[in-house]
Amino acid sequence: MQLRYIFTELRQGLRRNVSMHIAVVLTLFVSLTLVGLGTLLAQQADRATEQWGNQLQITVYLCRDGDENPACQSEVTDPQLDQVVTTVADNPEVSGYQLESKAEAFEKVKELYGEETFSGPNPLLTEEDMAQSVRITLQDPNEFAGVTSAVTGLDGVSQVQDLRDSVGPILDSIDVLTIAAWGTAALLVAAALLLVANTIRLAAFARRKEIGIMRLVGASTLYIALPFLMEALVTAVIGVGLAAGALASFLKFGITDGVAQDLTFIPWVGWSEWGVAVVVVAVLGPALTLLPTLLLTRKYIKV
Amino acid sequence: MIRFEKVTKTYPGPGAPALDGVTVDIEKGEFVFLVGASGSGKSTALRLVLRETRPTSGRVYVAGKEINRLAGWKVPRLRRQIGTVFQDFRLLQNKNVSENVAFALQVIGKSRSEIRQVVPETLELVGLSGKGDRLPDELSGGEQQRVAIARAFVNRPMILIADEPTGNLDPTSSVEVMKLLERINQTGTTVVMATHDSGVVDHMRKRVVELGGGRLLRDQVEGGYGAAG
Repeated sequence: MQLRYIFTELRQGLRRNVSMHIAVVLTLFVSLTLVGLGTLLAQQADRATEQWGNQLQITVYLCRDGDENPACQSEVTDPQLDQVVTTVADNPEVSGYQLESKAEAFEKVKELYGEETFSGPNPLLTEEDMAQSVRITLQDPNEFAGVTSAVTGLDGVSQVQDLRDSVGPILDSIDVLTIAAWGTAALLVAAALLLVANTIRLAAFARRKEIGIMRLVGASTLYIALPFLMEALVTAVIGVGLAAGALASFLKFGITDGVAQDLTFIPWVGWSEWGVAVVVVAVLGPALTLLPTLLLTRKYIKV
Repeated sequence: MIRFEKVTKTYPGPGAPALDGVTVDIEKGEFVFLVGASGSGKSTALRLVLRETRPTSGRVYVAGKEINRLAGWKVPRLRRQIGTVFQDFRLLQNKNVSENVAFALQVIGKSRSEIRQVVPETLELVGLSGKGDRLPDELSGGEQQRVAIARAFVNRPMILIADEPTGNLDPTSSVEVMKLLERINQTGTTVVMATHDSGVVDHMRKRVVELGGGRLLRDQVEGGYGAAG
């Protein structure tokens, strides 16, 4: 097989159809960037869930004097506390639990908001205002419903709080962004496929005489299709390269040097996740151009 | 070399079959004229030989292979044994004479050294030595057809199919083209030529296969264009 011929044809093909190829490259670039972005965001959601999921605790706040929950008549009694602890300990979904006293809770609050807020003659809160709590770690962070329903409503229980309640909105936002990125990407991928198909149709039309002669003199289908496939591959490689660059810029300037500086409590995606996104894009890009090329060249240049 | 056994070819849609139970046997090294009115089935017969289409029923053998049973991937190999020439030359206008002829070898993967050797030899055979650098539109019709013949013959095929090769040529050029086809035939290549050119057929006195309405009307050794010829 004459490689020189293939490369000459490739060069001519790219030049002949330059505007269509630019359109394909740009559409591929945008759609692949969005696919990559979706992949990054999905990984971001996974990382966040994993991080918070591992640490996820259900906190059972026990009744205290003057509790806002009308079910709480008074400070939790020892038998009530025993009942709660037994219920938690017997639950198979619980991997561990820990009792937190009023004093420990007060220490944590002081740590969070500063000692001075709670000292002096008229403090905002005292140790007595704090509630005792049972902090439960789950076997599987997703299986929280059983434990929550088992302890909710027990005597002496004021409130059951799932960390998910506070983290949920952030995770939901990431999910929405992921779906939006993938949804838009899907539309653009469809546009890219149509553009690729059109490009091949035009290229096949421009070369119909040549193709006709090639078929008659006995060139193989692969040989006839190869310049088309090479053209498709070149546009895909450029599209993938641009998308990988855009994703790297997004990661560097948008995340690492951007939001990650401000929102340090969230575990942000890094270069390894970028690598995964680039692999996805690098597989998808050539597939998006080569598959329609293979199908259409079979149609247009059928031997 | 080429054998049609009760070949019928029906295209989709209404109308009579393009070929209807045709049986013809063409031996290696023969020169055969395929004559008949437009729509008589000549082009279909040539397309069957090239395996551009398949018979609806019956069998077509080309170079010992039944083309109906030939796997798709083997078709290019079959076509390398068949050279084809058309009325409209079908030369690539952006390539010069040598490049047009070399193209047929390049695309089947022949080496550059082989191409460099064979192309000038073939151009000499068709009487176009020294015109290798010319573009097709710098040549006369007869010369362009000779380039097309060179391209068809450069791979030394066993069969040469010519579909109205003199249809666009003046009488002098037609004679030159026919001389060339005869010379190619003398090298052992089977030549099958579909034509309406009665003068050529009558002059050459070769085997004539006449089709009409898809049927074989006449198969005559040393025949003329008309039945009486």
